[in-house]
Amino acid sequence: MTAFGAMELDAALPRLRAGDPAAQEALYRAFEPQVYNLARRICRTTEDAEDVLQETFIEVFRSIGRFRGDGSIWAWVRTIASSKALMKLRRNKYRDTDELFEEAAPMKRDDAALRMDLEAAMERLSPTSRAVVWLHDVEGYTHEEIGSMMEKTASFSKSQLARAHTRLRGWLGEEVAV
Amino acid sequence: MNHLTMEQLVALREPSTEPGSHAARQHLGSCPACRAELDRLHQRVARLRALPTLRPARNRFNAVRGHLVADRRRKRVRWAGLGGLALAASLALFAVVRPAPAPRGAAEAALSNELIETITRSQQLERALVAISPENRVLDSRTATITGRLEDRLQLVDRDLQAAGLMNEQGRLIEQLRLWRERVGLLDALVDVHVTRASYAGL
Repeated sequence: MTAFGAMELDAALPRLRAGDPAAQEALYRAFEPQVYNLARRICRTTEDAEDVLQETFIEVFRSIGRFRGDGSIWAWVRTIASSKALMKLRRNKYRDTDELFEEAAPMKRDDAALRMDLEAAMERLSPTSRAVVWLHDVEGYTHEEIGSMMEKTASFSKSQLARAHTRLRGWLGEEVAV
Repeated sequence: MNHLTMEQLVALREPSTEPGSHAARQHLGSCPACRAELDRLHQRVARLRALPTLRPARNRFNAVRGHLVADRRRKRVRWAGLGGLALAASLALFAVVRPAPAPRGAAEAALSNELIETITRSQQLERALVAISPENRVLDSRTATITGRLEDRLQLVDRDLQAAGLMNEQGRLIEQLRLWRERVGLLDALVDVHVTRASYAGL
C-alpha cells in the first residue's frame, strides 16, 4: 500500500486546496489502487468500479477544503469511495434483485475449482451482501457505520454478514487449516 | 445447547459484548464443532484480506482533471458571463421592444421578432443546462475537452454580446441576432453532450 504520510500531507494540503494539478496527481497515484480495489470488490463490473474511482477523486478534490487534516487522509478518501460504491449499487438497483442474483446461477457443491476460489464465491454473493462482507471484514467498518452508509440499520448489516458467511461456507466447503 | 448459528459466530468476533455472547462463549469452550466453525470463519476473513489488490486497466486521472477544469470554466462562465449576459439580453430586448422613433420596416420587425425568439430559446436552453446540473456529472477526458471548448466559445460570444449592446443602432440588431443564434447553437451542443455522453456522479 502506497502511503501518503502525515508529513507529505502537511506539505501537499495547501497545494491541494489551491487545486495544484501536481499535488492532485500525487494524491491520486497514492490512493488509486486502494480506491479501485475497494470499488471493484463492491461493484459488479470493472466499468462501474472505474466510474467509482473517478467519482471518488472528483469529490475528494472538490471537497478537500473540508478535510481538516487532523485525521487519516486515507480514512477520509475511503469513506468517500465506499459511499460512491454503495451509491452505484443503489443506482443500478442491484439491491432489488439480490435474491434472484444469488439463486440465478447456483454453484455445484462438488466443483473443486470453484470450491477453492474465494473470489468466485464473493462474486456470486448478492451485491449488498458482498459489500457488507468487504466493508466489515476487510475495510474494518462497524455495523453501525455500514448501516448508516447503506441507509439501513446496524442489524441489517449484521444479518447480511451472517447470511453471506453462511453462503460462503456452503459454497467453499472449507476444511480447517491445521 | 444447540450449535452456534452463523449470526452468533459472527457476533463473537465483535469487540463489544452482545446479549447472549457469554452463553455462546461458554458453549464454544465445550464444543469442538463450533470452535472449528469459528476457526473457518477467521480463516475465511484472513483469506479475504489476503486477496490481491485489483488495479484499474485505464488511468483515470486525466478524466478527473478534465472534469475539475471543466468545473472551473463553468463557474467562470456562470459568474463572469451570466451577469453580463443578463444585461446583454435585457439591452437587446429593450432595443427591440422600446417605442420606435420612426415606423419600422417589415424586415426590421421580422428581425426583432426573430431576436426575441432566439433569446427566449437561449434562456430555455440555459435552464435545461442548469436542470441537468453538469457539475454532478462524470465526463471522460474527450468529452470534458469538448465541453471545455464549447464553454470557452460561449464565454467569447457572451463578451461580444455585451459589446454589441453598446453599438450604434445601425447594424446592432443584425449583430445581436447573429451572436444570439451562435449562443443557442453552443448551448444546444452543450446540453446534447451532457445528455448523451455524461453520467451522473450522484453528488
